[in-house]
Amino acid sequence: METREFEAAQEFLLAAKNYWTTTMYRTIKATYAELEAGLKESSERPTKATEALQKNTLYRYFAWLERHLQRMKYSGRYGLVPFHSERRSDLLKDIIAKHQDKFSPELQPDLALPNYYKNTDIHQHPGDLWSDEIAGVVYEFGARSTTPLLGNSHDDLHSRFTSLLADGSSYDQILDMGCGFGKSTMPFVQRFPSAHIEGIDLSAPCLLLGAQRARQAKHKNVHYEQMNAEQTSYEDESFDLVTSTMLLHEIPTKAIKNLFDEAFRVLRPGGRMAHLDFHVIPDEFHRLLHYGHSVRNNEPFMRGLAELDLKKVLSEKGFENVELSQFAESENAHPKANDAWRFPWTVISATKPAD
Amino acid sequence: MSSKSKKTPRKEQHFFEDPAIDRLMGTVMALASEVFVLRTRLIDLESQLAKSDLVDITHLSTPTDAAQTNATKAEAEAFSEAILKPLLGLQDALGAQFENLVIKI
Repeated sequence: METREFEAAQEFLLAAKNYWTTTMYRTIKATYAELEAGLKESSERPTKATEALQKNTLYRYFAWLERHLQRMKYSGRYGLVPFHSERRSDLLKDIIAKHQDKFSPELQPDLALPNYYKNTDIHQHPGDLWSDEIAGVVYEFGARSTTPLLGNSHDDLHSRFTSLLADGSSYDQILDMGCGFGKSTMPFVQRFPSAHIEGIDLSAPCLLLGAQRARQAKHKNVHYEQMNAEQTSYEDESFDLVTSTMLLHEIPTKAIKNLFDEAFRVLRPGGRMAHLDFHVIPDEFHRLLHYGHSVRNNEPFMRGLAELDLKKVLSEKGFENVELSQFAESENAHPKANDAWRFPWTVISATKPAD
Repeated sequence: MSSKSKKTPRKEQHFFEDPAIDRLMGTVMALASEVFVLRTRLIDLESQLAKSDLVDITHLSTPTDAAQTNATKAEAEAFSEAILKPLLGLQDALGAQFENLVIKI
């Protein structure tokens, strides 16, 4: 497959996704409003309107395109997986360092990967992030269009999150759970150059790529290790800040609760936990889209996180100052400024009581 | 690291009352993707042609030789598989299987 063909096909898919994100979304939203207005007023009206919308022809195409544009992005003739597989040996030369050095990640080949992690190919990425050496590179490319309208400013969302956490605070030891290939980790590395950052993930391919990117940038204050965030090997009270970005919605509710327990254990008294994820959903229409996305995009645990009573769970686990805040992923993310499909970005924040 | 294991394909999700429409949409979108790639190559080619005198455009419709014929045949097979594979209604990646799901909020 020639690079030019791959690029052209991916451009087409991105353009189609942008059309879906804007024109089709707005039409669906207007259709929902009409359906809701046509129903008898009651507390069940929004729910009935969502059921009616799912029988609408355009909604069916909306649903179809959401699933299949993603499928074609990864698996089609010009998909990310076949394109990168053809270039495997060159990619591995770029990812795998010639020698172990201080940047090399600590991998655990015997680490038992959870069944929930292996049973679904998240994001419709065949083989997911654990079973192929080049999976990290494929994911890195695919992540560029996770939020289609952000385009080249996709990095902004991670920097905006880091800036939010940096406001008036400084940290010495930071743990980034589910760090992937380091896209969420790097803004912390750059923002807090005197801090030490640990990035952990289940995916060895992602960690190798993250370490290579750190090596290339000469970032010495970050270390990557293969671990399950539900049960890490860190000592009690090791970190000032425990964070994650887009991790919680990819794991079952039980795993989320285990993760909160682990975060509490490794946090120092007075330390902060902050997760950027998807939780606060403004209305039933957007709830339908979010739950539909969960099923259509092979992200089966999104609904669990959305319906979890986080304030109750976190309080029961000993956290205080629990806040669930809507998050703007870019300058024009507010619906009034840009009426387009977007995730229900939420910052889930809490602190461990000080002694 | 283990290589990707082969998995039995799962039945694809469908959103229309008649699943044939879902499968047909797959073919339509695959075709659309191919058309765009073709357009891009054509635009690139025409751009190059306009800049040089290396190709006499009037000769593009002459019969092809055996090597070119074989190459075109191989390309047609790959092209056809890409266009028609969605009609099989099988998933490329592991996901939920359902028919006519109505999400209860």
